[in-house]
Amino acid sequence: QLVSALHNLTRHVVYCGLTRAEDVLSLFPENFHQNLKNLLTKIILENVSTWRNEAQASQISLPRLVDMDWRVDIKTSSDSIIRMAVPTCLLQLKIQEDAALCGNNPVVSALTVELSKETLDTMLEGLGRIRDQLSAVANK
Amino acid sequence: VSSQQFSALTEVLFRFLTEPKEVERFLAQLADFATMNKISLGPLKNIVKSILLVPNGALKRNLSSEQVKADFIALGLSEEKASYFAEQWKVNSPTLTRLAVGQTLMINQLIDMEWKFGVTAGSSELEKVGSIFLQLKLVIKKGSQLENVYVELTLPQFYSFLHEMERVKTSLESFS
Repeated sequence: QLVSALHNLTRHVVYCGLTRAEDVLSLFPENFHQNLKNLLTKIILENVSTWRNEAQASQISLPRLVDMDWRVDIKTSSDSIIRMAVPTCLLQLKIQEDAALCGNNPVVSALTVELSKETLDTMLEGLGRIRDQLSAVANK
Repeated sequence: VSSQQFSALTEVLFRFLTEPKEVERFLAQLADFATMNKISLGPLKNIVKSILLVPNGALKRNLSSEQVKADFIALGLSEEKASYFAEQWKVNSPTLTRLAVGQTLMINQLIDMEWKFGVTAGSSELEKVGSIFLQLKLVIKKGSQLENVYVELTLPQFYSFLHEMERVKTSLESFS
């Protein structure tokens, strides 16, 4: 019962985003033991930001990017042309499925994508536009 | 076959080579050519098949127009017609080469990318969140099917992704 009450208390603090001691203190009932109240408040406040970050990290979300690697190859020959020198890019994205769905065993899948120079240029154009939109939003 | 007829036939052939998907149009044009010039379609088709072997082989081996001309003369074509064909070859070969490269095997080719970004307002754990997320939808060709992949990135991840892609571009450009 005690653990459950503590759990509810901490969840409430994290949920409401309380950061000031007075706010947390006001949650305790009137005749609560003074020192215990202060001690609990102190401990809770110390941990609040860690808990908040953890909660944010484990929010439901679309699959998230965890890692990314790339390499550039040069294609020298194929069944349609015997001699050529075409550079191409291989991009590997490590994607983790929704943390909330997987519990303690997150499923990470690796997706390898091939990009020609034209595709890469188009993609960079798109990414540049995203960056511009982000700065516009940030500057508002 | 007179030289005028030959040029017309060559034109039909090259149009097909540069647009290999237009098979029906090619066959229709061949049939027209046959009736206009009073040649029967069967033998014409056979001749065309053998003629087409030359550009296809030339493309594979990156032959110059000189070599193509020599090949044709070796096959018994007159000097004039061979030159004409070689000329057409020179004009069309960039397109044809590009087409052939385009047909080269690509693994999981990226076809399209869409994005949206927004702000997470709240969740069941946190009443007010206010964090920015970026969602990418990548359309990938796996074999003959298209597959959609959805990925979410945080802002720092996005900036390092952008940075890495710019490095890839520099790398690709140094090899072109």
